[in-house]
Amino acid sequence: MTAGAARVPGEDPGTAGTDPATGTEPEWKRVHPVSPLVRGWIALAALAYFVGRDQVESWFSGGGMDLPAGRALFWTVLALGIALVVIAGAFFLSWWFTRYQLTHDHIRVRSGVVVRRQRQARLDRVQAIDIVQPLLARIFGLAELRFEVADAGESAVRLAFLRLPDAQQLRARILNDASGADEKQSDGGSGAGDDATVPGEQQVLALSASRVIASVLLSGTTVFLMLAVAAVIVLTALTGEAASIAAMVPIIFGFGSAYWGLFSSGFNFRASVSREGIRIRSGLLDTRAQTVPPGRIQALAVRQPPLWRITGWYSISVNVAGYGAGSDGESSARTRLLPAGTSEEVLRMLALVVPDPGTEDPVGVFTAGMNGTGPAAGFTVSPRRARWLSPLSRRRNGYLVTETALLSRHGFLWRSLQVVPHSRTQSLALEQGPVARRLRLADLVLHSTPGPVSPRVVEIDADTARQLLHEQAQRARTARRRDLPEQWLRGTGPSLAKSAPAATNPAPAAPPPGSANPPPGSANPPPGSANPPPGSANPPPGSANPPPGSANPPPTPVKPPPVSKEEPPHEHR
Amino acid sequence: MPSEAIDPSAVQWQRVSPKYLRLRLLSWGIETVITLVVTGLPLVLRLTGIWPGYPAWLAWGLPIFFAVTLLWRGLLLPRQVRAIGYAERNEDLLLRRGIFFQRTLVVPYGRMQYVDVAVGPLERAFGLCTLKLHTAAPGTNAGIAGLPTDEGARLREHLSARGEAQLAGL
Repeated sequence: MTAGAARVPGEDPGTAGTDPATGTEPEWKRVHPVSPLVRGWIALAALAYFVGRDQVESWFSGGGMDLPAGRALFWTVLALGIALVVIAGAFFLSWWFTRYQLTHDHIRVRSGVVVRRQRQARLDRVQAIDIVQPLLARIFGLAELRFEVADAGESAVRLAFLRLPDAQQLRARILNDASGADEKQSDGGSGAGDDATVPGEQQVLALSASRVIASVLLSGTTVFLMLAVAAVIVLTALTGEAASIAAMVPIIFGFGSAYWGLFSSGFNFRASVSREGIRIRSGLLDTRAQTVPPGRIQALAVRQPPLWRITGWYSISVNVAGYGAGSDGESSARTRLLPAGTSEEVLRMLALVVPDPGTEDPVGVFTAGMNGTGPAAGFTVSPRRARWLSPLSRRRNGYLVTETALLSRHGFLWRSLQVVPHSRTQSLALEQGPVARRLRLADLVLHSTPGPVSPRVVEIDADTARQLLHEQAQRARTARRRDLPEQWLRGTGPSLAKSAPAATNPAPAAPPPGSANPPPGSANPPPGSANPPPGSANPPPGSANPPPGSANPPPTPVKPPPVSKEEPPHEHR
Repeated sequence: MPSEAIDPSAVQWQRVSPKYLRLRLLSWGIETVITLVVTGLPLVLRLTGIWPGYPAWLAWGLPIFFAVTLLWRGLLLPRQVRAIGYAERNEDLLLRRGIFFQRTLVVPYGRMQYVDVAVGPLERAFGLCTLKLHTAAPGTNAGIAGLPTDEGARLREHLSARGEAQLAGL
C-alpha cells in the first residue's frame, strides 16, 4: 500500500486539494498541528533531561555559578538551538505530510517525508473503531482514531491526533458509511458528546471503581503472587538464608505493574449499545472508547479465575479480527468486553454480543456453561474414561451446539466458556495424541482470528468428535450462506446500493506473499478488474463482494451528518 | 493409506509424492551429519588429547544422545510422510498428518484468503513444491509439503477458483 515511494517531497505541499484526480475527490485534511508534539514529547523530554541534569547538578555542586563562559556558552546555546530547530522541523514536516481523506467507501492516510506512504482501508471492511486518548492528548483535548482491519492487528489505520469532537464526528460518519445505512436516517447514531448520553446510545452497564479494584485484587495474578511468595518463604526456610528474600523485589515490581495495568485499563468501565455497535469505554489515565459493530466478533470467552468464585464474577474477552493477539496490557485491555461482572451482567453483555443464541433457554444454557457440570442443559461432556487425563475438570469439559453457535466449556479451577458463532468458524481440526488415542478421546479445535480466545472442545469421545467435525463443517457452511452482509445496516435503509460493481475501486491488489505468482490467466484476475482478487494478502481490499455503492457520481463531497454541538464534549472522567 | 480413528469415514486420501520421502531423508541426513560433527567435536578433541579436561560422560553422552534421537526421527520419517494426506471435497479441503499426534483439518473453500506455493532449492531438485492455504485464522496452519510441481500448480488453480466462487467475509 505504498503509493509512490520516495517521491520528491517538495512537489506535494500545496497540492492538498488537487491530487491525482483533481476536483473529483474529497479534500485531503491534516491532523491537528499539536499532534507531533503529543507523539514526540518524549524526545523533547529527553533533551530537557540531558541539559537540565547537568545544570541542576552543577548548581548543587558548584554553587550555581559555573555556567560555561564566553565561547563555550555560545556553542552550547547554538547546539541546543540547532537541536531544537531540527526537532521542530522534523515535527513540522511529519505533520505537514500527514494527511487523510475520507471518501464514501475508503479512508486514506498519507504520511512520511522521504518515503511516502499511503494506506487505505475500505470502510465496509473496518472491523472496529477505537478512539484512544493518551494522557497528554487528553490534556490537549485530542484523540487518536484507529480503524482496525482484519490483518492480525499489525497495521491499523491511525489518525493521530484530532480534536475529540472531530474524531467522534468522523467515527460516526465512518460507521455510518460502513454500515451502509442511508444518510438521511442516520441522525440517531451520529454522536456528539462522547461521554454521557449520546442520543441513540443506551448505557448497558458501568462498573464501580471498587468493583474494579476488588476484581484486580482477586484476579489470577493474586493466585500466582501467593504461589511466588510461598515459594520464596519455603526456599528461605529450607536454606536458612535471607538472600532469597531479595528475589521478592523483582516479583513485587512485576506483580505491581500487572495489577496497575489491570486496574488502569479497567477503571471506569462502561458499556453501551448504539446502532453502530457495542461501545466500550474505559481507562484511568489513558482512555479509550471502542466501537465494535455487530457481527464482527469472531469468538468470545467467559472466564473465571479461582478466587472470583467467591464473589461470583466473570470476565469476557473477545476475538475481533484486527485487534490481534498481542499479549501486552494494551491489547488485552482492548479485547476485554467485560473486566469483571456478575453472572447477571455477563448475561446482559452476552445478549448484546450473541443476539440470537439459537436456543430456547439461553439463560439456562449460558449459566450451565459458566458454572455447571455434567450434562445439565444439554452439554455433552467427556466420557468417564477421560478422568485419567483430567480428573477434576472431566465433568466440566464439554460442548453444546445451538442453532447459531458452538459452546465449549472447560476448566475446573480456571473456568471458561467459549462461544463461536457457526458463521464465524474459519477452519476446523481434530487432534489426538497417543494417550488420547488409547482412551479413544479427541480434541476438536476451531480456528479463529488472532485474539485471546482459542476455541477448543477438549477430550470428547473420538467418534463424537468425528461426527461433530463433520456436522460443524456443514453448519458453518450453511450459516455462512445466510450470513449478514458486510454492510450490516444495508437491508434496513432504502438502498443507496448502486448495482455497478466498482469501476472506481482502486484495489491496491497486493500480490500474494510468497514467491510463486500465479501465471497469467490464472484464477486471480489482474488488479483493476471488476472483482479484486480474493487471493490478495490484505482482506480489506480483497473481498469478493463487489463493493456496493462505490459507483459514486464524481463530485461527492460527502456531507457530514448533522451533529449536534450544543455542549463542548467534556473529557472522560 | 489406512484410515485412522479420527479421520472422517469414506475419504479417499491423496498421498504426497514418494519423492518427498527421499527429500526428507536427504535433509535428515544432512542434519544428522552436521549435528554429529558438532556434538562429536569435543569427543575427538578429548581422544586426541588436545582437551583432556573435558568430562568424559559429556563427551560420550552428548553425541550418543543426539545420534539416538536423530535415528529415532529418521526411522519415523517414512511413516510420517505416509501419514500426510489430503482430499478435495465439494466444499472443503481435508488435510491430515501425524502418527503419534494426529491431526485432521477441514478448510472450507469459502474461508481461504489466499493460496501460496513455495519451492526451495532442495525441493526444486526433486521437482516438488509446498502448498499453503491461508485463512484469517493463524491456527489454520494448512500446508501440504511434497507435492509434485504440476500437481501443486493444478491444486493452486483449483483451490483459488473454488475459493473465489465461495468466498465469504470474515
